[in-house]
Amino acid sequence: MNVYLTAIILALIAMLGNGEYFLGSSMLSRPLVTCTLTGLVLGNLQQGIIMGATLELAFVGSFSIGAAIPPEIISGSVLGTAFAIGAGKSTAVALTLGIPIASLVLVIKNLCFIFILPYFVHRADHYAEVGDGSGVSRMNVLGGFFSVNLPIGLVVGISYILGSPVIKVILNAIPQFIINGLGIATGLLPAYGFALLMKMMINKKNATFFIIGFALAVYLKISVTGVAIFGACLALILTGYSAFNGKPIVNMTTNSNKTNVEDGGIDYEDEEF
Amino acid sequence: MKMKNSKLLTKRDLMKTFWRSFTMEWAWNYERQMNLGYAYSMVPALRKIYGNNKEKLKAAYQRHLEFYNVTPWLSTFPLGISIAMEEQNELDPEFDDASINNIKVALMGPLSGIGDSFFWGTLRVIATGIGTSLAMQGNILGPILFLLIFNIPALLTRYYGLFIGYNVGSSFIDKIQKTGLMDKLTYGASVLGLAVVGAMVASMVTLKMPLKIGSGAEATTVQKICDGIVPGILPLLFTLFIFWLDRKGWKSQYILLLIAAIGIFGAWSGLLG
Repeated sequence: MNVYLTAIILALIAMLGNGEYFLGSSMLSRPLVTCTLTGLVLGNLQQGIIMGATLELAFVGSFSIGAAIPPEIISGSVLGTAFAIGAGKSTAVALTLGIPIASLVLVIKNLCFIFILPYFVHRADHYAEVGDGSGVSRMNVLGGFFSVNLPIGLVVGISYILGSPVIKVILNAIPQFIINGLGIATGLLPAYGFALLMKMMINKKNATFFIIGFALAVYLKISVTGVAIFGACLALILTGYSAFNGKPIVNMTTNSNKTNVEDGGIDYEDEEF
Repeated sequence: MKMKNSKLLTKRDLMKTFWRSFTMEWAWNYERQMNLGYAYSMVPALRKIYGNNKEKLKAAYQRHLEFYNVTPWLSTFPLGISIAMEEQNELDPEFDDASINNIKVALMGPLSGIGDSFFWGTLRVIATGIGTSLAMQGNILGPILFLLIFNIPALLTRYYGLFIGYNVGSSFIDKIQKTGLMDKLTYGASVLGLAVVGAMVASMVTLKMPLKIGSGAEATTVQKICDGIVPGILPLLFTLFIFWLDRKGWKSQYILLLIAAIGIFGAWSGLLG
């Protein structure tokens, strides 16, 4: 197959992978999916599936949780698989090419995040001010397309045309400390998301609860869900729901739930947090 | 799924929100994370609710462009609640519209805590385990089962979450508002929310200082000394530092660049690792 045609199809596979985020966060970006499709295009479906499994396990720890941005696994998987199958090489080659490509493309992705996407975010604010709902909607659709989806497609397509020798040279030219440093930065970035959350919620009085959550996690090694359970109980106690109200607690069954609302308690039983 | 009687909305309107919620992570940005996706999902409902009330409509668009982040498959639950509250806001002139975002934010922490550990920690692990073990043998069922095992529960959660959220919202928010318990609920929600944010800072921000002090058997690392004072104090201090920068009015681009620079400098100098 013509190399340019292949490059375009691979770019489309990468865009479909990133399209996961337009299609219900449906795991299309995972190596198991993108490598399989790449194998199909390059005429070696079975090899693609096996490489997908290998890369999936290699990238198993990288997913977007909270505010963290993982290595750009889509380009790493598609290009790693394409180069390895093209050269008739083994799964290990896909892995050794895929992982550095993923960290390199993360740099490009972060540049897009910092320099392109904020334009759309602020444009949406403007549309909201003038009451233009279609404008707000457009910024969501176009913002994701131009800031992330299209750049990933371009990177994959162009890289495939350049070929694996050129990509290796580029990868080797980047000093290791930059790649390591950006790795460290991705560990730090969630702090920004949490800082923004704190800005919305925290004040002098309720900062205590932030400290409680932090201390429970570091000293008692309780998971986030565990802290959520303690936090919910603490909230029930502090809002007075669980306070002693002069009635024997054992009799507080079905009937008293209804009267509770008038008493000043919230009907938490049906609250479904 | 049935929805509670509504004066302003039909099931068709909620289904528009359902489909639009698929794009929740599409224009994810460092500054306000899922704000564009959330506003995009709210637009059809807001238009229908406020109709010609231009001023309230503008305020609502702006409200939903604020910071938001939640496990994407659970996003329809807060969306349902927001829609119910916006509806209440139009029907009841006494309604305090600040409570809409308060409730939304309070749900963010607990929902993400539960959602992330269920979807990322449990469902994805099961799907990946089954998918990769088949794919390792080159079996096409690997990627297919991977997608099905993950997406069927994810879609069901997304669908039911919306209607449950809407029903909870319309029956309880109304009651709570009338009995003057909104303040209590908002307070309780902030207790829970902040505890979870504290735990997330402890577990999701990574900052390590492997620099050695002393030599031979006496050698210890900066990391160990800091952890001896309070475990996880470095991520905490870093988050507070970013919080302080943001308060001082630093633009998001500069904060992001600074974080990248700190990471690269740390790797270059060997201070961070």
